[in-house]
Amino acid sequence: MMTSLIDRDMPTIAPAHDPRPDHLVLEGLEKRYDKVVAVAALDLAVRQGEFIALLGPSGCGKTTTLRMTAGLVPASAGRIVIGGRDVTHLPPYRRDIGLVFQNYALFPHMTVAENVAFGLEMRKVPKADIGKRVAEALALVRLAQYGERRPRELSGGQQQRVALARALVIRPSILLLDEPLSNLDAKLREEMRTEIREIQRRLGITTLFVTHDQVEALSMCDRIAVMQAGELVQLGTPFEIYERPRRAFIADFVGRSNKLDGIVREAGVIEVGPLTLRATETPARGTEVRISVRPHRIHIHPHPGSARPHARTNLLVGRVVRTTYVGDVFQYDVDVGPGVMQVEKPTAAGPQPISRGDEVELEWSVVDTLVFEDRP
Amino acid sequence: MTVATFSDAPAATRQRPVAPLAAAMLLPIAIVNAIGFLAPVANLFRMSFNEATGGGGLREAVTFANYLAFVMDPFYLELVTRSIGMSLAITLLTLVASYPIALFIHRAPAQWKSLLTIVTVSPLLVSAVVRTYGWMLILGDRGLVNGLLTSAGVIHEPLRLVNNTTGVVIGLVEILMPYMVLSLMAGFGRLDRTYEEAAQSLGAMPWTAFRRVVVPLTLPGIALGCLLCFVLAVSSFITPKLLGGGRVFLLATEIYDQAIVILNWPLAATMSIVILAIFGLALVAYTRVVRLLD
Ligand SMILES: Nc1ncnc2c1ncn2[C@@H]1O[C@H](COP(=O)(O)OP(=O)(O)OP(=O)(O)O)[C@@H](O)[C@H]1O
Ligand SMILES: [Mg+2]
Repeated sequence: MMTSLIDRDMPTIAPAHDPRPDHLVLEGLEKRYDKVVAVAALDLAVRQGEFIALLGPSGCGKTTTLRMTAGLVPASAGRIVIGGRDVTHLPPYRRDIGLVFQNYALFPHMTVAENVAFGLEMRKVPKADIGKRVAEALALVRLAQYGERRPRELSGGQQQRVALARALVIRPSILLLDEPLSNLDAKLREEMRTEIREIQRRLGITTLFVTHDQVEALSMCDRIAVMQAGELVQLGTPFEIYERPRRAFIADFVGRSNKLDGIVREAGVIEVGPLTLRATETPARGTEVRISVRPHRIHIHPHPGSARPHARTNLLVGRVVRTTYVGDVFQYDVDVGPGVMQVEKPTAAGPQPISRGDEVELEWSVVDTLVFEDRP
Repeated sequence: MTVATFSDAPAATRQRPVAPLAAAMLLPIAIVNAIGFLAPVANLFRMSFNEATGGGGLREAVTFANYLAFVMDPFYLELVTRSIGMSLAITLLTLVASYPIALFIHRAPAQWKSLLTIVTVSPLLVSAVVRTYGWMLILGDRGLVNGLLTSAGVIHEPLRLVNNTTGVVIGLVEILMPYMVLSLMAGFGRLDRTYEEAAQSLGAMPWTAFRRVVVPLTLPGIALGCLLCFVLAVSSFITPKLLGGGRVFLLATEIYDQAIVILNWPLAATMSIVILAIFGLALVAYTRVVRLLD
């Protein structure tokens, strides 16, 4: 166990060169409502066939960005380019997009098949082809038998799939999804995640996916664009966003993390109250920083003194103030002095070796010690 | 013709037997309806089979003479077709004039909605008679419209806007608009901006999105408003009398004349029953439409 901690390297971020050309480009995109800046100077390039999540807390401007891309709200400034064509000033019906709404917005007065056929009719596709393509689209979302039903006669998940079929049947240049899974229950959401990702891969369609659910973003997307208060604060692969968040805000928002505030004493050394912690990279001496450590990256030793101090690990003694059983993991809240840190251990059969009031030792790799200059 | 017809309540709840308490609560309105509506209608019905004796007298009898007189006289049949035709035209014009207003109010921000609704309904605070006189002033030969157009040099002879069908139509459309706007708004429940946005994202131009999505979703309101305005148009007599200048003959004005001027009550009662039959037909048509929409 010790060795694994010491040997842990900086997670290597493979800057795997992606040869695909940019397909959707947002340039300095901005939206102001009177004084409110909903989206501020946003730059984002989505590659051909790429699946990108717009991730951020409520009100950070995700929907606004998506709606500007769709042409449903005019941009205050900036440019939108889809497939090399500047569409900034085009109305939605000339943008060649597929859009899936949070509430699905299936036309209640039409059958499922009519809903799916609508976009094809607008494109003046010959009648004979419409029937064939509608059938294909419904088969794609596994609803071949449901064409004659009304939307209200379908379950939430089925309506969701119809909405997806309706958006995809027109073979749009890009697919835009606004929190498409947020109205589904947890189990169905998980199924739909895989299904949407699967369909997106198969069709190779460039996709922008709005979500405030980090698990969704991490598990489905090629890259994640994290937004905060109208700004894009980090764009990267799920791995980069999770392992190397650029701000404490991101570390906090994506996954869970323990937070401790301290001051840089010297390069690689941070003072947190009476404690001293090590990190791989630190800003200039004297800088006030926030340290963040993922709960499941911390090892917990039942007997203090059993772990040997090492330059590549952090070692803290604390007292367990709470234990929580969550089925697959045990959570220990450990008071380390300047704060309480949460540690997660997978549960195993048999009695748990640690209980409330025990003195324990926490150990984690310097690599897992994330240091930030912002303190949200 | 209750709005409840539009609710999406599953059939099961609709067919639930009425609870005793609910039945008890319906009793007062049932009594009021019996005294204020059913009894007078029954009275009219009976009277329509009575015999007119001239000079305002009537004799108890069971005779079809009034109905025969009505059916045999082409003048009366023309009254029926003209009443229905004009009321349909007025209803259609009222719909066209009211729809944009209702849509605008429906889409207005919440804080403006109630104010706009009040403004729309406020004409109802003034009696239809007063408003009709207002229209006579506006549309008369020396009225506002003709005055403005003459002084602007657009016309030299005044336009004939009152004492004819045009005046009646203009007046009734304005008088009926508040009812139409309210009915439309009551039926706009299913309309949501995202449907139009979805249609546009699928390639529909605004007009197509309106035609294919907005209009179908608002059909319940359209049906309700048309029923209400048609019924009100067929039965209105003061406005046609005043703005028609005695030259526009409709079923309702004729009933008034027969009852008040000629004092032939049995014939007036007969025509009232005919109007009721027209209402019945309108109601049947409405029910058909609503069932079709469901
Ligand atoms: N029509 C509008 N008028 C004024 N402000 C608006 C309008 N639409 C959005 N905003 C503001 O813009 C900001 C971004 O809104 P947006 O809907 O894009 O957020 P979001 O990230 O999609 O949030 P959520 O996760 O809650 O959907 C919010 O502060 C919101 O209040
Ligand atoms: Mg949103």
